[in-house]
Amino acid sequence: MKKQWRYSGLPLVTVAAVLTMSPALAQSVNTARIEAAGQNDWLTYHGSYKSHHHSPLAQINANNIGNLGVAWIHIPGRSTRGLQSMPLAADGVLYYTGSYSRVFALNGATGEVIWSHFPELDEGLIARQTHSPYNRGVALGEGKVFVGTMDGRLLGLDAKSGKVLWETKLIDSQKLTVGFTGAPLYAKGTVIIGSQGGEWPGRGPIFAVDATTGKKKWEFLTVAGTDEAMKTWGNESWRTGGGGGWMPGTYDSETNSVLWGTANPAPLYDWSGADYKTQGARPGDNLYTTSVIALDIDTGKLKSYHQELPHDAWDFDSSVGEFVMLERDGEKYVVHPNKGGFVFVYDRNLGVKNVWRLVENINFVKDIDPKTGALIGRRDFAAGKVTEPLCPFIGGGISWNAGSYSPKTGLYYKIGQEWCMTLDIQKTTPVTTPQAQLNIGADFKMAPPPGGEIYGHLDARDPITGAKKWEVRYPEPPLGSVLSTAGNLVFVPDSRGILHAYDAETGAELWNRNNGTGHQGGIISYAANGKQYIAVTAGFGGMLADEYAPNFGGVYKSMPRDDGALIVYSLK
Amino acid sequence: MKLHAKKITALLPVVLGASLLSAAPARAQAATPEPDNGTLDVEQLFAGTCGFCHSDGGRAVGKGPQLMNSPRDDDFLRNRIAGGKEGAMPAFGGSFTGPQIDQIVKYIRALKPR
Repeated sequence: MKKQWRYSGLPLVTVAAVLTMSPALAQSVNTARIEAAGQNDWLTYHGSYKSHHHSPLAQINANNIGNLGVAWIHIPGRSTRGLQSMPLAADGVLYYTGSYSRVFALNGATGEVIWSHFPELDEGLIARQTHSPYNRGVALGEGKVFVGTMDGRLLGLDAKSGKVLWETKLIDSQKLTVGFTGAPLYAKGTVIIGSQGGEWPGRGPIFAVDATTGKKKWEFLTVAGTDEAMKTWGNESWRTGGGGGWMPGTYDSETNSVLWGTANPAPLYDWSGADYKTQGARPGDNLYTTSVIALDIDTGKLKSYHQELPHDAWDFDSSVGEFVMLERDGEKYVVHPNKGGFVFVYDRNLGVKNVWRLVENINFVKDIDPKTGALIGRRDFAAGKVTEPLCPFIGGGISWNAGSYSPKTGLYYKIGQEWCMTLDIQKTTPVTTPQAQLNIGADFKMAPPPGGEIYGHLDARDPITGAKKWEVRYPEPPLGSVLSTAGNLVFVPDSRGILHAYDAETGAELWNRNNGTGHQGGIISYAANGKQYIAVTAGFGGMLADEYAPNFGGVYKSMPRDDGALIVYSLK
Repeated sequence: MKLHAKKITALLPVVLGASLLSAAPARAQAATPEPDNGTLDVEQLFAGTCGFCHSDGGRAVGKGPQLMNSPRDDDFLRNRIAGGKEGAMPAFGGSFTGPQIDQIVKYIRALKPR
């Protein structure tokens, strides 16, 4: 039985007294705190603005991991399409979301519910949506918890009570049928959130809202958002839209910029053939889709960008992928993985410094020039059956969950996915009016890589050069996020439901436990009352997970797609 | 083999409402009409929307079930298309009329291996 230290502020370990505050002593989360990334907290989706997804805590380590066991479990209920949230932790309180943007604040040591908030949603709208009703997390700042909803709102909740302090309607979701599933980002008095977009007509907005009042500050359109960009959509094809920024980016205080990844243009697949600049569904490069963009946080003005895949004709968008900030030999870098399976290395102004390949089975291009980022030998399809399968599969060589960078080992731990797809490109007519429909532009089916099997892998690589130190393989690609800790550990929650812990230096498996259902969400570490915890969401289902039962069978055949739990581990 | 459904005149209001756009960009801003009883190009509908889950144009299992040779009866298919299934399939009852849903069912019944 757990001791009742919950709100006393009395630490279990004396030395932790200055490190850990009880909820009653909690200080407001602000930009400086997120920047500092205190070891006991996990204050923003990517851990800190540096986006390392790494915990400096080492109480749980490679020597004692055998004593790791379940501390507590929380069941959010109504986990339609599983649990996909990245928990956050501040001052011993854990915040996370379930489907339908249900928000929970839990005592990080005991799991006791401090408050919950279940937004009343437009259920009729949600029934019409395709990519719904999962939610990927909250942002914290200024004593508030921020969450987006599938019906186009951003909410500011009181972090102490869960009471709604403000609510701002940002998207006409009834008209556009898209909303928010990604977590917001808090920085400098501003909450930033990107909409869904890639498969729908619309201009893929990214919004900034005043954290105090909820008033909209600016909006950036990822589809033809500038005069320059408008010229890259021939035949007014910007009206078929796409784009959006459905996963959170980060904030760079040195440049006063928000860094964000944008989604693909619509339709996903084009019939233009090689003449994509002048022919097909959307002639041109289609800026600023499948790009990384730097926006001035105060004005929303575009400061710099790199389009990772000009005229993306494969649905390998840049919304996936953390912006890992690190320094080496006096140089400051930003590392950003793309869904196509390449990892881009930038300077802080998004100038390309290197591009390396995480995934083996890639054939949508022959290569990407590591010096310039230019695509080499791209495959642009004409209408009809594509003879050689396209690699990777539409699920990506890299999916939307995050990898982890350990400053201690200097290694970047990232999941790669090896799978391909058959494809029959259809010449469709433009979709400019949103309803419940998507805009895919092809019939397709998952297929194994030529001459091989589908598999997934955790790689430990140099984040700048891509040099591989070790690799662990999985029969099916893991879909959850990765966590590294200063305890020389790397945690991987896999698709079958097993949570693995590896030696961060060697990749040797040190520990594993079955969480009972597949993972496809976040994993963090934090401390409460001087004790380190590992929190992971389990619960399968959704746009990629739903492919697992028909394609892989086995445990996936009976795995629920409407269930989930937050499972929190500590040393026994 | 292409299905005869492709030959059906495309007046699909929702998905193809902008069918004139590629030929006449100047008309791009024309409002898409509300759903009516016009015929659908269901093959295109699958390439744009349904095939995202019902793989290979409905011929293979994907995120959603294989529709070719479906053991479900027509009423089940009509109801599922119109009403959807929570967490699995959107409800299209607001997007398509009854006769249009009948066309989708007809397409499904005519599916053959490529």
